[in-house]
Amino acid sequence: MAGHTRSSSRRIWQTLSAVRTGIILLILVVICSAAGTFILQRPTTDPDQMQRAYSPQTLVWLDRIGLTDVFHAWWFVLLMGLLCLTIVAASIQRFPGVWRFFARPYRRPDSHFRAVLPVQKQISVLDAEQALAAAHRVFQKQGLRPQHIVDDNQVSLFAERNRFSLLAVYIVHTSLLLIFLGGIVDAMWGYRGFLALTNGQQASQVQLQNGTTRALPFTIRCDGAGQENYADGTPKRWWSNLVVLNGGREAQRKQIVVNDPLVYGGIRFYQASYGSNGELDKVMLAATPANGTGAAQEISLGLDERAQLDAQTSVRLVRFIPDFVVRDNQIYTRSNQPDNPAMQLEVTTKKAQAPALVWIFPQFPDVAHDNKSPYNFKFRDLRMGYFTGLQVSHEPGQWLVWAGCIVMALGLATAFYLVHMRFWAMVVRDERGRPALWIGGSANKNRAVFEQRFRRLIEEVQTELKQESQARASRPEASLASV
Amino acid sequence: MARTRVERQPAASGTLLVVLVGLGIAFLLFMAFLNVVKSGNLFTEANLLYAALIFYGGAGALYLGFGVTGTERYVRYASLATWAGLLANTAAVAHRWYVAGHPPFASVYEMLLSFVWTLAALTLVAEKKYGVKVIGTVTMPVAIVGVVLMQLLRTDVHPLVPALQSTWLHVHVSLAMLAYAACALSFALALMFLIQDKMKTETFLAGTSLAVTAGYAGILTRFEPWGGLSVAAWDAAEKQDMFLSRGVRLFVTIPDLGWLFVLVALAVAAPFVCYLLAGWRNDERFYALANRAVFVGILAQILALGAFLARANGSYPSLDADGLFPTKLAASPFVLSGLVGGIFISLLYLLLLWRRTDLERLLPSADALDQITYKTIGIAFPLLTLMIAAGAYWANRTWGAYWSWDPKETWAAITWLVYAGYLHMRITRGWRGRRAAYFAILGFAVVMFTFFGVTYLLPGLHAYA
Repeated sequence: MAGHTRSSSRRIWQTLSAVRTGIILLILVVICSAAGTFILQRPTTDPDQMQRAYSPQTLVWLDRIGLTDVFHAWWFVLLMGLLCLTIVAASIQRFPGVWRFFARPYRRPDSHFRAVLPVQKQISVLDAEQALAAAHRVFQKQGLRPQHIVDDNQVSLFAERNRFSLLAVYIVHTSLLLIFLGGIVDAMWGYRGFLALTNGQQASQVQLQNGTTRALPFTIRCDGAGQENYADGTPKRWWSNLVVLNGGREAQRKQIVVNDPLVYGGIRFYQASYGSNGELDKVMLAATPANGTGAAQEISLGLDERAQLDAQTSVRLVRFIPDFVVRDNQIYTRSNQPDNPAMQLEVTTKKAQAPALVWIFPQFPDVAHDNKSPYNFKFRDLRMGYFTGLQVSHEPGQWLVWAGCIVMALGLATAFYLVHMRFWAMVVRDERGRPALWIGGSANKNRAVFEQRFRRLIEEVQTELKQESQARASRPEASLASV
Repeated sequence: MARTRVERQPAASGTLLVVLVGLGIAFLLFMAFLNVVKSGNLFTEANLLYAALIFYGGAGALYLGFGVTGTERYVRYASLATWAGLLANTAAVAHRWYVAGHPPFASVYEMLLSFVWTLAALTLVAEKKYGVKVIGTVTMPVAIVGVVLMQLLRTDVHPLVPALQSTWLHVHVSLAMLAYAACALSFALALMFLIQDKMKTETFLAGTSLAVTAGYAGILTRFEPWGGLSVAAWDAAEKQDMFLSRGVRLFVTIPDLGWLFVLVALAVAAPFVCYLLAGWRNDERFYALANRAVFVGILAQILALGAFLARANGSYPSLDADGLFPTKLAASPFVLSGLVGGIFISLLYLLLLWRRTDLERLLPSADALDQITYKTIGIAFPLLTLMIAAGAYWANRTWGAYWSWDPKETWAAITWLVYAGYLHMRITRGWRGRRAAYFAILGFAVVMFTFFGVTYLLPGLHAYA
């Protein structure tokens, strides 16, 4: 029984760690994500469009299977989880072998190894020790750090470079897991929402994408926002002056623009949109007394604001319509844009019982005024209210994602461009029993370039040996002594 | 057989083409010079591009001449012409950069400008460094189509909308261009590997037929009731796409064109059907039939292109919005490039059909090509990774989310996964040769879909490109 469970768990482990499983999962992920781009997705499409695109029957089924929100469906998450598991399992399964190779490099080539190594060269020498010393010098000249390996009373040389690159695969896989982990953290604890503020308004909660609201641990206030245009009228820049109020105190102040958010307490505020909200901010008017005595006064009014014109008279803005239109004897506004603005003023005097109502149409200045009013009004200018649209997001996992990206870039660079190369040198006996310097090399990628490098190394060793023998020839007593 | 023919041909026949192309270049330059003298302004971007077009055209003619006759000296002159074209192109890029004040990646026009430049530069690299001489036969016509397409696009420097004003945009787009160019190169190399690997010419026939049919199927996804064909509406005055809302293109329906395109799609699919029949019935005669069908297909494609050019000028209704909308010849550069690309692919097959032995003689060995393909993907994959990371970082700064499963993002991830699959199969399973080459081709097909298909067919945030 116990043996049975062990074998089945082992089989699961083997399945998980097989490259084949990983590839199958990869293909499934690819198919599912592709489906998610062809089928309209609920989070990014408005419901009307969904209704128009699919028949109700189809839509019910799509919703039930989760195909209208593939990337948040349980089976997609499960798939990604399994993919993570296979990456971990495959890494763990292969790790011991790679680690052995990494931690205990093969330093001393035995005769079998020497026989099969493809890149090698044997040079006849006179003196074993001096040959090895020459090889040592050449290795050093090439920027390698040769180690002396003593075994069986024989010394050999070993040098290597970029052993680290053996672990590159693990670096890349770890980085992938880091990125997944960041995504999971954000899916669990992160949120995204939207916030629209007008000038001077403040808010301490945001509208989330799923329709709920979420309280912020502080208050945010907009102290002004605006748009700058290019000469051709297209928007060049949107900006908002934001103030963070924490416990009633001003904690941070920043002008944000698109691409430059405000960050406070891990929560980011992005400039997302800007526009008129159809409400009036201020209208500028010139008021002149109707009887012609006295100069014009410049007044500015917001909705429901009152201005004193003289000791007797005051005026109040009672109604503002941005895009005036009359249909069926009713007043409507066609849009929120001040294309055909109309405003109604209420002029109150202490003498008269009933206030006088005055309509002003800036597009039609000739429309007759109500002559009960003691003042005539002339339209000067108006300023519409605007809102600044802020995207709010809290993504505690993003640092893991960025860290993962950087680690992955390093890992890929190591995997593709760092070559693990090894060199061995030792003195052997050739078939006639004379000493020969054997040099071998191996590289895990880019073999053609490595072979060139190896040939250069051999040439240098040969010149080094030649120089040495010449030097010895010029010192006959030394050579005699050695004989 | 073909080889002996080439050896019998004296090199003298080569002089004629060189002289003709040289005279053509000189004539066009002279005409352009007269024009410049009249306007009095030498170094405008349009002039530089015109010069680049002339030189690329000459280079393309010479490379094709080389591909067809195998005369080595054509390549020398073709390289010279490519160098000259690249020089003019570089000047145009520099001029653009200087005038616009940002690297030329902001509009379709600017991206094409950069793309053509990259393509010409890579052609020279592949030729000089790796000795892949015939590659110009493929890349130069693409460059010419690119430069011609640029003439139809909006060229004035238009200012960047707020979301695009970021250094990360330039990082993201330049990485994308480099990565896609490397993918394209790996694709071309994989095809050459298949030629050297003695893959049957008939298989290429099936492949090209399938690829062209897929292109027409892509265009025909916008087949509307009553035989209309919908294409992305084009603002003729502004020379740019029209949008209903952010990321949603406005499509207008050209009546009756859809039926014609269905017929053409059937015609280009015919060689593939013949291929299947030949395999099924085990009858070689179907191959001969398939080769004839290729000719019919090319004629049908030219007909489709002509009909599209004739019909694309005018005002057509849209299904999504009320009213008529004008379109121009440039309406939907995507459809246009799809049509031209289809003809081009079919012509490449003819080149292979007639000149296979010459091609085999001129290309590097299969092993070398396999290695270079792998190396190119080894360059493309890290670039793809960095491109996605830079894009995510930019999105995070602009929209407040580094990943929002937008179709373009998703397809970039799919591309990445496909190449990751290639690398795993190659490294852990030792996939070499043909299977690896198929994988490289699949990878590039996905890249093409990410670049064109997603932009054209799927709505999303990436409305800029």
